[in-house]
Amino acid sequence: MIEGLVLTHGAIGAELVKVVAMILGPVAGLEAETNEGRSALQTADVVATWLAGRAPGAEGLIFIDEHGGSCASAARLGGAEAAGVPVLSGVNLAMLLAFATWREDLPRAELVQRIVDQGRKAVAVVGAGR
Amino acid sequence: MKLVLARIDDRFIHGQVTVGWGQWLRPDLILLASDDIAEDPWQARVYASTAAPGTAVSVLSLGEAAATLRQVPGGDREPPRVILLTGSPADMHALMSLGVPLSRVNVGGMHFAAGKQQLLPSLYVDRDDLAVFRALLRQGVRLTAQTVPGAREVLLDDGLLASMEARL
Repeated sequence: MIEGLVLTHGAIGAELVKVVAMILGPVAGLEAETNEGRSALQTADVVATWLAGRAPGAEGLIFIDEHGGSCASAARLGGAEAAGVPVLSGVNLAMLLAFATWREDLPRAELVQRIVDQGRKAVAVVGAGR
Repeated sequence: MKLVLARIDDRFIHGQVTVGWGQWLRPDLILLASDDIAEDPWQARVYASTAAPGTAVSVLSLGEAAATLRQVPGGDREPPRVILLTGSPADMHALMSLGVPLSRVNVGGMHFAAGKQQLLPSLYVDRDDLAVFRALLRQGVRLTAQTVPGAREVLLDDGLLASMEARL
């Protein structure tokens, strides 16, 4: 199974994971963490702990909210690259729904592409307005 | 070089700096001064990669940073606008001791760690930090806590530091 960590500012990640569970039911192996109240290195420790705590044989994916920020730094400083775990920025609900829907059917590389595609599709102008 | 912001922030380069202060101050360069990070090229690359496109980043040791910041601008060109970042009050004070002239220091974020007490929402300190803040005040530095330009600015003066010290 591929496990996921949603690492964001404030409660964005926790709320997204909560909404995914409301839509699909509880998703095992999908956790949220925040950088709130933490330095860059403290947040990196959170990532390192998550990486070390994954189930044996489980692959991982890390979602962050912003490409240029402390969550991005922390994901990398925490060892995502060394562990071969991809880090995807710009997390939105569509990305997490895609993760939960296809993580058992697709190899990780394809899953990553599917998640990115679904996330991008979800950003759209809905109605042209007046 | 024109120092537009000297900031203490243990997250170094992140959204509050690149977006919050960056959009306001339009820096040409973010100078991250840290002996630990400067001696680890990989860490330095990670931090540098989080800056906004168009903003250069230098990760330098305290000695190198001080030498760079002491340079007197010459010629007709506008000197580059610089945001200086350190991860601790001690490092900022060390730069002053190495000859970097600082009249204002912004305290952006010092997060919780063992032995530290909360002074403000994003500011946890211990006695060592307070001693360095006092040293900066004695050297005439205007010390303020402010996360981003639109947020409330809190003057870290002797009175506030004394009240904190009494709680430690």
